[in-house]
Amino acid sequence: MATDAGIIAIGAGIAIGAAALATAWAQKTIGAAAVGAAAENEKMFGRGLIYMVLPETIILFGLVIAFLLWTKM
Amino acid sequence: MFKPRAMTRTLIIGAKQDVEKTIELLHSLEVAHIIDFKPSDAESPLQLGLPTEKASGASQNLIKLRSSVQMLSLEREKQVISEKHSEKQLQHDISLKIQDLELSVLSLIESKTRIEEHYRKLNDRIRQLQPFAAMDIPLEDYQGYDHVTVFTGYVRDLKQLNENLPKITDEYELFTSEATDQMVALFISKSAKDEAGKLLGECGFTEVKLPEGKGLPKQFIEKWENQQKELSEKLLQTTKDILEFRKRHAEFILAGEEYLAIQVQKAEAPILFGTTEHSFLIDCWIPTEDIKKVQETLTEQMGDSLYIEEIQTKQEDEPPTLLKNPRPVRRFEFLLELYSIPNYREIDPSFILSLIFPLFFGLMVGDIGYGILLILFGVLFMKLFKDSEGFTNIGWYIIIAGIFSLIFGLFLFGDMFGLPFLPPTHEVGVTAYSWSTLLGVHIPIPSVIHKMESLGMTQLLVISIIAGFLHIGLGLLIGMVIERKQNWKHMLTKLGLLFVLIALAVLIFVMADWTIGHWIAPLKGSAIAPVLWGFLIPLVKAGFSFGGLVIPYVSIAFGILGIIIIGATAGGLGLVEVLEVTSHLMSYTRLAAICVAKAAMAFAFDMIGLGLILSGNIVIGILGVVLLVFMQLIVFSLGALSAGIQAVRLHYVEFFMKFYKGEGIRFNPFKFSRKYTTIE
Repeated sequence: MATDAGIIAIGAGIAIGAAALATAWAQKTIGAAAVGAAAENEKMFGRGLIYMVLPETIILFGLVIAFLLWTKM
Repeated sequence: MFKPRAMTRTLIIGAKQDVEKTIELLHSLEVAHIIDFKPSDAESPLQLGLPTEKASGASQNLIKLRSSVQMLSLEREKQVISEKHSEKQLQHDISLKIQDLELSVLSLIESKTRIEEHYRKLNDRIRQLQPFAAMDIPLEDYQGYDHVTVFTGYVRDLKQLNENLPKITDEYELFTSEATDQMVALFISKSAKDEAGKLLGECGFTEVKLPEGKGLPKQFIEKWENQQKELSEKLLQTTKDILEFRKRHAEFILAGEEYLAIQVQKAEAPILFGTTEHSFLIDCWIPTEDIKKVQETLTEQMGDSLYIEEIQTKQEDEPPTLLKNPRPVRRFEFLLELYSIPNYREIDPSFILSLIFPLFFGLMVGDIGYGILLILFGVLFMKLFKDSEGFTNIGWYIIIAGIFSLIFGLFLFGDMFGLPFLPPTHEVGVTAYSWSTLLGVHIPIPSVIHKMESLGMTQLLVISIIAGFLHIGLGLLIGMVIERKQNWKHMLTKLGLLFVLIALAVLIFVMADWTIGHWIAPLKGSAIAPVLWGFLIPLVKAGFSFGGLVIPYVSIAFGILGIIIIGATAGGLGLVEVLEVTSHLMSYTRLAAICVAKAAMAFAFDMIGLGLILSGNIVIGILGVVLLVFMQLIVFSLGALSAGIQAVRLHYVEFFMKFYKGEGIRFNPFKFSRKYTTIE
């Protein structure tokens, strides 16, 4: 049982870690572009912020999976 | 509250000799958003107007005053005023004073820059001569020889130079400065010039050019330094004079600038009008509630000489947006406008934003300690930046968010700075600290939800999904209300999405029954109990088992119905929106995620800090206190920042995408926000 729990925990860790990496990767590109756009036109700040935060949902998928796994431990 | 103010398009037509008076009246009424006139073609009798005669004089004076403002670095926001200046007095004073004022400012600033320039020049010269100062050789002795070459400069390796020079020739003299022994002056016979140059290169020689002049460098430097001393005294005096001048005239300069800016604004207004040879036409939007006042004032002052007509608003018109909200909500308009200002025909979501933003924030932070800190911080913020509208608004959000965090902390989570008031009872985990055990007093603030337990975490996730369901559902309903008049197909698509949303929510609620089922237990025995337990709950729970999960029939029914409606109204592409709604619903789990992440961080730091404090060693104890305060501040600022951003994001992305378009035109009335002047 202990090994099972360990493997589940590793799975949960991978789920959230990989999702976090994906989010970071997406945000880095969007963030740079958004800052550029906002520097040229201040009105783009709001829209830039929205694009910037869009990929955050990816990590939440990871979180939900990790949580579902955790309840099985 | 949910709609921008109604606007009426109004035409004002009059004879050209009345244009200035009309402008004066409109400007004082402060309610007309003038539409920029565009002539239909070059042949049309109606052409763009020209600025009135006053414009050029006023602009010239304005430029003069603005340059004074710039040179004296006056700031409009910071200047306090003793009294408001009347326009009449200002007009009189400006014509009298402006010439002298400009000259005085110029001469003051000029003398300051002259002194600074002179000081800088002396500095350069001193720096140039400094290397030679230590050698005590008059400058004229360095040059003018027939058979001797002179090298002056820095040498990195003096020892090597000293050793190797005699090997080249013995006809030389080497002077080194005593203070910094790297500066050298080498007098050497011209015949050995090339070899000496080579040797110097090997010793890391950097040449220093000989300054012009005669006499001992030391004396020069002394003289210049004395001059500099005098100059700095002068500079101090001039700066004082400028400050004195600034203090005396700042108010007049700023008031004058404001007065002239208003004059220029009025004088240039006609370029927004349409004009013919003898008449003018003003096309503007006026809030419908003010239109009577405008008409009355204009007819009262101008008699029959103006023709005023209200025009029916057409579909292609784009009236400007002036939001109408009670004061506490009005502060949230700023948050809305950061996204985009609503267009005239749209529902204004400021009120919903002002209600749900703090709710989300409170749920995420949910802690008595952080709540109180946030309120204090918000008050401080508003005090510090009371001149900036944006920042005071942000201060206001912080205060409201703090109040909600406090409420959630008090009634739902029962914790302060990450530490619960009572130790958890359900789960045996870390024998955790709590405020009650720590202080030895029983504090009866229970944690309805323990953030650090798996049950609490599940409950929080379900709460997040419920919040998402209600929030997205509200967004879709508003969207349906808006589309009802414009496009029934879009309305039906939104209805289909709502069905899909219900299907998803029911599925999740049935799955999470074990964690949240007891929440509705108190309803047993109430009037609606028979409906709930007799009908609704069995209906919702009925379903088939699939891989250990119960899939309710209600979900299947709503899901299929929704997808059919979407497919029929929006086609295959509309089905992408089904995925979008699903991911949007999951997106609300961030509420739980941030809540728990912040709490876990705070709790972990508490454990570390308290462990040190209670260790019994005074030094380690003090270290623990410092560490704990520092770490709590980190958690506080990180938590507040991310909670704020996420609460805004849930509105901007998940909520607004369901109905909000924005891109309105801001209502920009023909007026000037006066600070220093009055008309009287």
